[in-house]
Amino acid sequence: MSELIVQDAGPLTTIQDLGRAGHLRVGIPASGPMDREAFVLANRLVGNPDPAAGIECTLIGPRVTFTDERLVAVTGADMAPTVNGSAVPAWQGLRVHAGDVLRLGPARRGVRAYLAVAGGLETPLVLGSRATYVRGRLGGLEGRALRKGDRLPLGRVTAVRPRRVHPDRVPAYGGEPELAVVLGPQDDRFTPEGIAALFEGPYEMLPQSDRMGARLKGPWIEHTRGHDIISDGVALGGIQVIGDGQPIVLLADRQSTGGYTKIGTICSFDVGRIAQVKPGGRLRFRRVTVAEAHAMLRQSLRALDGAIE
Amino acid sequence: MTTWPEPRFLPCGDRALSVELGDEITRDVNARVLALEYLIHQKGLAGVGETLPSYRALLVYYDPLAIGYEALTASLRDLLAEASPEVLPPVRTVELPCCYGGELGFELEAAAQKLELAPDELARLHAGADYYVYFVGFTPGLPYMTGMPDRLTIPRLTNPRVKTPPGSVSIGGVQCCIYSVESPGGFWVLGRTPVRLYDPTAPDPILLRAGDHVRFRAIDRAEYDAIAAEVEAGRYRPRIDGPARPVS
Repeated sequence: MSELIVQDAGPLTTIQDLGRAGHLRVGIPASGPMDREAFVLANRLVGNPDPAAGIECTLIGPRVTFTDERLVAVTGADMAPTVNGSAVPAWQGLRVHAGDVLRLGPARRGVRAYLAVAGGLETPLVLGSRATYVRGRLGGLEGRALRKGDRLPLGRVTAVRPRRVHPDRVPAYGGEPELAVVLGPQDDRFTPEGIAALFEGPYEMLPQSDRMGARLKGPWIEHTRGHDIISDGVALGGIQVIGDGQPIVLLADRQSTGGYTKIGTICSFDVGRIAQVKPGGRLRFRRVTVAEAHAMLRQSLRALDGAIE
Repeated sequence: MTTWPEPRFLPCGDRALSVELGDEITRDVNARVLALEYLIHQKGLAGVGETLPSYRALLVYYDPLAIGYEALTASLRDLLAEASPEVLPPVRTVELPCCYGGELGFELEAAAQKLELAPDELARLHAGADYYVYFVGFTPGLPYMTGMPDRLTIPRLTNPRVKTPPGSVSIGGVQCCIYSVESPGGFWVLGRTPVRLYDPTAPDPILLRAGDHVRFRAIDRAEYDAIAAEVEAGRYRPRIDGPARPVS
């Protein structure tokens, strides 16, 4: 049986696929990769379909071995990957052999790295997905983060040639990313000054951030009349502002509903970029209309399709 | 508190919008939300993905490559004209055994004192009501319900608990909820049901759905323990009247 064996897991290493659709209405989030673009590119580099299950690593990567020869690829945060102790490039397909040790170290840039393995991980499907939702003890391996000694079954491999992401298309994960935001659903609960503050920024990523939400600190966002609303659904990327006037961006493992005002929503194509901002790192928001957001979405999907050489 | 004369369509980024039908917690507004959701899926509205109902709004995910924002809102407006509660399938009533007071209902006495009722009377009034599930969410399987007699309206706890055990049957304001996973909480815990509202190991992990009715059956500690053992062994099925399976 072909397997990936976890030798050391790292602090939060989970199995993810493109997520568990269809269960938000009973309170189960989609989960899935925090940086969807990096995840999809890793799969494409090894010839997998986009939804194949792979591994998300957080801040410090795992050490893993393989029981047979196959292509693997590492994308996302720069965790200085090595095979048998020698540095290997990220953002391209690599051939590993039985017994090879692939190690990802601490993230030098970015937060989350992705490891795709040709054939994908074939852990059990739970409600149609292999994505791990740790708080709900659902999916992945026994609903938990990976740990030392885990053996993950791998799917069948088809012969593909190793490919790489064009060097110009590899994200730098530095500076102050500017994320596109559509106002709403409760922007009418904020003063013009409050809305201006959001787009003035910058906001700093706080260490309490996790797969549920990114807690940010920056200019105070003023409400018109309190921060409570009648609880409603929370979209991916929703920017919730509570009493302290500070934003929380709701992410892959978010609560499905909430009773606090949401001033805006980060566009789907930029949600992955917030997932790569380290604690202490900064970011800004840029206001776009729904029509502009749709044009940008098309552009970003084209860019993704053109990213691999 | 009001019902909007026209629906409000509120953007939620580039892939979702919220259809808001009012600014009140009433069964009438909620039934229209559920009816709209039902019709969207029954008619297979093109380009629409997941939907998430709440008290007075429906969150609708869509694929902007398949349908534009204006076209989507126009279709939703058309569907809303038909979205009356009569289109919904028959409701289910789920009976949940509940052990009131003691260590499982550790705030029954305090809540009774606050409401100036005897603890037994509070438990009796709570168990005697018919509850309606507006929606399920926040954590997996948690039902947001009303239905209590007005006499049981109670302010939320001033200092929320850090941990509430799953199965805790609790009240706050006019609402009743049952914690589905261990989580913080600001409602008064009156009792506990041994039934799992969320069981990640089950083929269908979620017991309740939006639109369900819930009734509580008061049980003693011995029966609680007996049912809990059956639940643990995977043998217990709560009593459900109406359609055996949830509609969605």
